[in-house]
Amino acid sequence: MKAILATVISLALTTVVIGNAYYQKKQFYPSIVYLTNSNPSMAVMYLQAFILVLLVGKLLRKIFFGQLRPAEFEHLIERSWYAITETCLAFTVFRDDFNPKFIALFTLLLFLKAFHWLAEDRVDYMERSPVIGLLFHVRILSLLMLLAQSDFYFIHHAYQFTASKGPSVQLVFGFEYSILLIMIANILIKYVLHAIDSRWETPWESKAAVLLYTELAINFLKVLLYIGFVAVMVRIYTLPLFAFRPMYETMRSFKKAYNDVVLSRRAIRNMNTLYPDATAAELAAADNECIICREEMHSGAKKLPCNHIFHAACLRLWFQRQQTCPTCRLNVLRAPAPAAEPAPAHAAPGHPAPPAPAPTAAPVPPPFPQMPPPMMAWGMPPPPPPRPASLGNLTMAELQRMEGNERRAIEARLQLLREIQSMLDASVLLMQQYSTVVGSVAQNQATVGTQTLEMGRTTEEPETKPKVKSEPDVVPTTSSYQPSPVASTSRVKNEPPLDRPPADADANPRDKTDADAEELRRRRLQKFTLDK
Amino acid sequence: MAGSALRRLMAEYKQLTLNPPEGIIAGPIDEENFFEWEALITGPEGTCFEGGVFPAKLSFPPDYPLSPPKMRFLCEMFHPNIYADGRVCISILHAPGDDPMGYESSAERWSPVQSVEKILLSVVSMLAEPNDESGANVDAAKMWREDREQFNMIADRIVRKTLGL
Repeated sequence: MKAILATVISLALTTVVIGNAYYQKKQFYPSIVYLTNSNPSMAVMYLQAFILVLLVGKLLRKIFFGQLRPAEFEHLIERSWYAITETCLAFTVFRDDFNPKFIALFTLLLFLKAFHWLAEDRVDYMERSPVIGLLFHVRILSLLMLLAQSDFYFIHHAYQFTASKGPSVQLVFGFEYSILLIMIANILIKYVLHAIDSRWETPWESKAAVLLYTELAINFLKVLLYIGFVAVMVRIYTLPLFAFRPMYETMRSFKKAYNDVVLSRRAIRNMNTLYPDATAAELAAADNECIICREEMHSGAKKLPCNHIFHAACLRLWFQRQQTCPTCRLNVLRAPAPAAEPAPAHAAPGHPAPPAPAPTAAPVPPPFPQMPPPMMAWGMPPPPPPRPASLGNLTMAELQRMEGNERRAIEARLQLLREIQSMLDASVLLMQQYSTVVGSVAQNQATVGTQTLEMGRTTEEPETKPKVKSEPDVVPTTSSYQPSPVASTSRVKNEPPLDRPPADADANPRDKTDADAEELRRRRLQKFTLDK
Repeated sequence: MAGSALRRLMAEYKQLTLNPPEGIIAGPIDEENFFEWEALITGPEGTCFEGGVFPAKLSFPPDYPLSPPKMRFLCEMFHPNIYADGRVCISILHAPGDDPMGYESSAERWSPVQSVEKILLSVVSMLAEPNDESGANVDAAKMWREDREQFNMIADRIVRKTLGL
C-alpha cells in the first residue's frame, strides 16, 4: 500500500516537474536544459529513477522468483545493509570521479548483487523442498544465464575501459562482477548437484563430498581474487576498506572448508582402513538401528573404536562435519585404532589440526642446553620433513614410511647441530679477535687521548683487520651481538684464513682483553639460554 | 541428502505418534513440508509453568540430523534460556563450534544421536530448572535469581495467557 502511494506520488511529482518545464520553455531542448539546471527538478527525477529501479526489481523478482519466502527476504535485507555500507566506503576512495553515472553504476551493481543472493538462497532451498516443478527449473536456469551474461558483459566492459584509459573505478566493477561470476558458477554447480540428487531415488552419498570440494575450490578462487584486488588497489589508490569484510569472510570460509576437507578425509580414510565392519552378532546386539538415519543396518556398517556401530555412509556424512563418535563423542582422529599399533605418547595432545610442519625436539641431546630455534633457520641442510599431528591414525605402511623419514630427519638434525657447533666455535674465535681489537684500540686511545672511542675504532680497524669491516655494527656494542644468518655462514667459510688464531688472543697478555672475552662468552651463552 | 533427512524426520514423526512422551505433542505443520514442525509443550508439574500449554515451532535444516534444528516458542515466554523473540537457547540445539554464550562444553552439544523427542524433553526440563548462567534473557535470569516471587507471577500470567484465560 505504502509502496503504491510512494510510486503514485513520485510519478505525479515527475509529471508536474516535466510539465512545468515544458510549459515554461515550450520547446524540447530548452526544457531539458531547464530541467538539468534546476536542482529541485533533478532531485525529483532522481527519486523517480530510484523508484523505477525498485519497480523493475519487483517485476524481475515476480518473474524469476514469484513470492519470496520470509527467510529469503530477511537474508536479502541483511546483506543489502552490508553492501550499502561498503558501497559508501567505496565512494570515499573514488570521491574524485563522483557523479550521477558513477552512482548509477553502483546502484546497478547492488541491484544485480541482490539477484545473485536471491538465486543462491533459492537454490539452497531446493534441498529442502519436497516438490520442485518445471517452473522452478526454467526460472532458475534462465535467471542464472541472464546474470552470468550481465556479469560477463560488465567484466568485459571494465577490462576494455581499463585497458584503454588506465585504472579507474572500473577496476572495482571488474572485480565485483568477477566475484559475482564465481558466485554464479558456484550456484550453478549446486543447482546441478541438487537436480541430479532429486532425480535419483536412492540418496546420493558422495554429493556432500562433491559440495565440500566445490566450496573449497570456489573459496580458493575468491581468496585469490580478493588478494589480487587488494594488492592492485593498494598500489594504485589506497587501502580498499570496503573489500575487507567480504575478504575476511571468504578467507574464514576457505579455511573452514580446508579444515573440513583435511579432517574429514583423514577420518573417512581411518574409517575405511582401520575400523572393522560390524558382524551380524554385533548388529543384533545394537538393535540393528543406525542412530544417525534411524534405519536398519544390514550391511556396510562400521564399528568405531568405541564399539558404536553406524552405517558407513552415515558416518561419512557426519565425519564431514565433525570427527567424533555421534554417540559418545570420542574423537576418532585422536583415538588409537582398535587393536592396531599403540599410539605414541605424544600423539597430538592438543586440538586435531591439519598436519603442520612442526619439527619436534630431536632425540639426541643438543651440544648446548636449550638450542634457540632461530639457529635452525640458518643451517644449510633442509629442515626436517613435516610430521602429521597424530601418529595413532597412520597405517602400518605409513608408519614404516615415516620411519625412513625419521632416520633421515635425525641425520639431518645431527648434521645441523654439528654445523651449529662449528659456527659457534667460529663466532667465539671471532669475538675474541674483536675484543683484542677493542682492547688495542682502548690502549691506543689512552696514549693518544684526543679521539673518542668510536672514532678510534673506525679509523683503526681498516688498518689492523680488513675482515671486521664486513660487520662493523657488531663491534661498538659487544653485548648485543646478534648473529645474522648470511654473514655468519659466510664467516664460517672464511674462518681458516683469518690471520689471528685464538691462541694469539691468549698469548696477548692483556688482562682487559681476557676479561672482555670472558664476559662476552658468558653473555652470549646467557642469551642463548634466555632465548628459548 | 535431502532424502535421508526426510526419511529420518518421517521416522521420528512416526515414533512420536506411536509412543508420545507425556505432555508433548509434535508433528509437521503441513504434511507437504516435513522441515517445519509445530510442537505443543505442557508446563512441567510442580513448577511455575505448571498447567500452561506452550506452542513452539521447530525448523529443520536440509542436512538434518547432521545439523540441529532451530526451536522457537510462538507464545510470549519469560524464561532465562529463551530469547525475547522466543528462540530457545539450550546446548543440545547448538552445533559444536558455535557457542553463543561461551559456557557450554562440546559434550552437551548437538549430535545425530539427539532427536526431536530428546530436544522437547530437554526443553521441558529447562522450563522446570532454568540455567541462570546463560544470558538468553538477562532480565529473566536476574529475576529468577533475585526475585523468585515476581518471576512466578509473570510465569503465571503467561500460563494463563496460553490457556486463553
